[in-house]
Amino acid sequence: MSITEKTSVSFTLNGTHHTITVNPLRRFSDILREDLGLTGTKVGCDAGDCGACTIQVDGKQRYACLTAAAQLKGCNVRTVEGLSSNGNLSTLQLAFLDEGAAQCGICTPGMLMAAQSLLDQTPNPSEPQVLDALGGVLCRCTGYTKIVQAVLKAGQSSFSQTITEIENPSSEINRQKSVGTRMLKVDGYKKITGEEIFGADNAPENSLWLRAVRSPHARATFTHADPETVLKKFPGLVRVLTADDVPGNNGFGIYPHIKDQPVLAKNHVRFRGEAVLALVGDRESVESVTEDDLGLKWEVLEAVRGWKGALSGKLEPVQSEVPDNVLARGFLKKNDVEMAFSESDIVVEGKWTTSAVEHGYIEPEAGYARKVGQRLEIFVCTQTPYMDRDEVAQVMGLEPKQIRIIPSAVGGGFGGKLDLSLQPLVAIAAWILERPVRCIYTRPESLASTTKRHPVSMSAKAGCNRDGKLTAFEYHGDFNTGAYASWGPTVADRVPIHCSGPYLVPSVLAKTRALLTNESPSGAFRGFGVPQGSIASEALMDDLAEKTEIDPLEFRIRNALRKGDRTATSQLLENSVGQVECLEALQSHWQIWRKEAGVFNQNSTHKKRGVGCGSVWYGCGNTSLSNPSTMQVGINADGKITLYNGAMDIGQGANTIMIQICADALGLPATQFEYVMGDTDLTADAGKTSASRQAFVSGKAAQLAGENLRAKIILLAEAAENATLCLEQTDSSSGGKLIVADKTGSQEIILADILPLANGDVLTGEGTFDPPTTPLDENGQGSPYATYGFGAHIAEVEVDTLLGTTKVLRLAAAHDVGKAINPTQLEGQIQGGIAQGLGMALMEEYIQGVSENLHDYLMPTVGDMPEIKVILIEDQEPLGPFGAKGIGEHALIPTAPAILGAIKQATGVSINHLPVTPDRLYTALREAENK
Amino acid sequence: MKPFEHFAPDSVGEVLDLLQSIPKAKLIAGGTDLLLQMKQGSAQPDTVISLKNVEELRGFATRKARFRLGAGMTLRGITRSPELKKHFPGLVYAASVVASEQIRSLATVGGNICNASPSADLIPPLLALDAVAHIVSRDGQRDIPLADFFKGPGKTILKSGEILLSLFLPQPSGNMFYSKHAPRQFMDLAVVGVAVRLQKNQGMVREARVALGAVGPTPLRAKKTEALLTGKTLTPKLMLEAGEMAADECSPIDDIRGSAWYRKRMIKIHVRRNLEALL
Repeated sequence: MSITEKTSVSFTLNGTHHTITVNPLRRFSDILREDLGLTGTKVGCDAGDCGACTIQVDGKQRYACLTAAAQLKGCNVRTVEGLSSNGNLSTLQLAFLDEGAAQCGICTPGMLMAAQSLLDQTPNPSEPQVLDALGGVLCRCTGYTKIVQAVLKAGQSSFSQTITEIENPSSEINRQKSVGTRMLKVDGYKKITGEEIFGADNAPENSLWLRAVRSPHARATFTHADPETVLKKFPGLVRVLTADDVPGNNGFGIYPHIKDQPVLAKNHVRFRGEAVLALVGDRESVESVTEDDLGLKWEVLEAVRGWKGALSGKLEPVQSEVPDNVLARGFLKKNDVEMAFSESDIVVEGKWTTSAVEHGYIEPEAGYARKVGQRLEIFVCTQTPYMDRDEVAQVMGLEPKQIRIIPSAVGGGFGGKLDLSLQPLVAIAAWILERPVRCIYTRPESLASTTKRHPVSMSAKAGCNRDGKLTAFEYHGDFNTGAYASWGPTVADRVPIHCSGPYLVPSVLAKTRALLTNESPSGAFRGFGVPQGSIASEALMDDLAEKTEIDPLEFRIRNALRKGDRTATSQLLENSVGQVECLEALQSHWQIWRKEAGVFNQNSTHKKRGVGCGSVWYGCGNTSLSNPSTMQVGINADGKITLYNGAMDIGQGANTIMIQICADALGLPATQFEYVMGDTDLTADAGKTSASRQAFVSGKAAQLAGENLRAKIILLAEAAENATLCLEQTDSSSGGKLIVADKTGSQEIILADILPLANGDVLTGEGTFDPPTTPLDENGQGSPYATYGFGAHIAEVEVDTLLGTTKVLRLAAAHDVGKAINPTQLEGQIQGGIAQGLGMALMEEYIQGVSENLHDYLMPTVGDMPEIKVILIEDQEPLGPFGAKGIGEHALIPTAPAILGAIKQATGVSINHLPVTPDRLYTALREAENK
Repeated sequence: MKPFEHFAPDSVGEVLDLLQSIPKAKLIAGGTDLLLQMKQGSAQPDTVISLKNVEELRGFATRKARFRLGAGMTLRGITRSPELKKHFPGLVYAASVVASEQIRSLATVGGNICNASPSADLIPPLLALDAVAHIVSRDGQRDIPLADFFKGPGKTILKSGEILLSLFLPQPSGNMFYSKHAPRQFMDLAVVGVAVRLQKNQGMVREARVALGAVGPTPLRAKKTEALLTGKTLTPKLMLEAGEMAADECSPIDDIRGSAWYRKRMIKIHVRRNLEALL
């Protein structure tokens, strides 16, 4: 039997028989998503490395991206769309919802199908069986803990009894107070059914495809053929975009004064992965055109690499405007550090380096643009719709109001979706061609072209007196910021403020530099350099504890910042400083774990256990800059209540907590709310989802919006301040009612009687909050943040000293969050932060041209995670919504220091380069033996 | 993807006929390697022959004193076979640590072998078990010790027109242990893989097999180490020496997963640990 190009394949899909005529080696993921329109199955890598596309074939879990069409002949296929029946969620889906197992939701369909394959065969699985079944799906948000719990729960017969309660949330409707409850994620249903629409899941039907052609060289000049000659050769190509096609400024960047990264490079590239041309046409054509077809000719130049390369001055500077390659400097000076060291009883110091780290969101960048009249609509995964709008406008030479950003659901961000990626490319193409244009980054493209965590080379010194009271701290850090600024200056600014840790240090000196090199641009990644800096400060705390013979946890408690203390910037901490409580909450675990590790080590020759700790403090919001959020809420004539939420939910749960906060401020049940997320035409600017600011800043705005609406309603009803509200929602024929009751009686507001606004709302509330900060002076002194989050982790590791391998056995995390708006979501954030911190400590290392895929770039799998205990401390922040502050970045920062401390306690060896891969640890152990 | 011809024959005979007339045709079993290679452009076949329907490639059976393992058996199939678990627990373990369940339910033992990756997890155990590759073509058939099957990364002795039909495994004498050294728990390639089989008689080693993965252009048998062990009683000193000798016998490279230097040291420790486990 011979078939050329196409064959007929019959199979059953979610109970329905299908016969399709298709290229026999077409990937089944493409068939599902593009031919059959079933976008519940996600594609994260297209190479069998991430598991997002996991489906069931004859009951067994498989990667759809590695399954050829012809392999499915006669098979029974099930996808996430086939899990629920007639709108009834499966037991497994309900368990995911109940446990909060889905955060961003991009891995969720794959996780569900992997778990379902296990449950079909083993209805009541053990934990090792669950780990093995989920081992082929990566999750970057959750740290896997809640996913494993959900699968175990789905396997328990007792769970089915609680199902009715989850399915019918009416029990929550009567619950007037929502803040502090484990309210289910408002977008959870969409995430566990595969209905959530991510960047690659939607585009107008007649969309053209765009693919950027990228530099294979770190530094080169180039020429290319005349686009017209290329177009003649490829009838499926519609346009080849070059730098000359950028209508406005061919440069973008975070800061108003630095727009250094070209949309398309002109003649000269500065890093491997930089876009030089963009092909627009049908998908097959844009994918098949090669470099040769485009006549691309490179003259490769010697690249500036690493910190030393940046400072050597041997090569032409990376950017001619920055002759010494020092893009930005950070500086902080509090008192006389030199004198303080000379008066210290004990001084310790060290040097450390770290590697580039990839965000590793499972959703590669994707979206589309289309021209609507004289405006552009851009649908894209982003952490910052308003900044995207303004950036695209200046690249296009248009007014910001001519750009509408419609965010898709975001399949993870972690800082990596704060910079522009495909937005300007599709915008230019759609504007010029007057047709919708879509683009989906491949995984290698996403890895090569987007930002990374800054590699740093740092040295630090700390001193204390004999009683273990800190006296002085000094820090120098050179951050490799790559070819373009991205968030490099922010990192250079943030690190000095935080580098001495959450400790009271009388004298501090810190100097940082952001250095330009011909490497991947380093940008924002969960912590803006503070996770790297903490490795130095926490290692020095351990060293000082050792020298003073004080228990390391006790040492940290003695020196922890307390209310009334002044920080390294001399800011007075008046409220919400829960550092001591966090450390003390870990004390009993700390003592027991250390004791148990000691007993283990007495009986073990090669395997050694140790327990280490790390602390964190981190300012919520932008550094000494205005960063306001505005939130709006409205009720329409039908009684539909909508939160216009500009705070992007990238998986962390902003959609849910903003409603919880607004609902309580207003006095209506959160379950009555609907929401709009991030659309720049429909929501006000709530700033970026970054800097751990949304819960604190936008949350406060949501509270103020709720209070604003409540005040209007009270006024309208002439009721008492403490009146209770009841919203009767109906279909449009009869109209909705608001019943306002106080001691004197109750008032009915007939909503249809009020003149509606353009969007149909009849009653609205708005709130704006900008956290109060002061500028930093020339010595970096001032009040850069309105509040700080605090926390600490302790980790127990087991090191195989003959192999150099490290397994993290258990980890306890205590965080002062001010007020836990939603404990389930907080736990999820913390567990996920721990997974990323663990990856940074032990395995993650991005090397250009080498780890440009997810099987060489290793991120933790479900099997790499320790048992995690989360402790929430609530030292309320008066400025925050109901006392709350941020957690996003705090969750990750102490993990790596705790793990490194544990390795040192287990082995006696300090590791000064991250990640601590087995070969590095092995080498260090052997060197220590030979000393 | 450029156009190509696709065949899905039902029998080995048809596969061999096709291969004879189209010698450059690519075979596809699970497809986990080929689909990736085609996506990356490193494989651009004009003709693809699917082995999915070929009955003769399947199954595991006992024949006289030896076992036949069909090249088309999936790794998942290996991990679920009670027969294999009973006779070859070390091989089943090796199959269970390949990639992930999703890959294991597609990938086949034949594919793992013919792809000839130096780090393939199944190959060291099969070498330690004295597996014989049963190769067929239109011109006949030949049985080659698996140890002689590999020529380099991605290269085997298979000639144009030949396919790997099955593996023969002799009745195993002694126990076999496989250890995989990988920094990540799931979905990771071996930094080194070590399989050791010992047949002992009253404490003395009668026959030893030491097979190593990811430390040379092909998986290899450490024959000097095997000779060192044979005829001796396992002592701590001997086990240490065996580890050192195995490390000397291999020729790893530096890559992102570890330096050559580190790999040699891991061979030393894993060989010794596997010997200790077989004490």
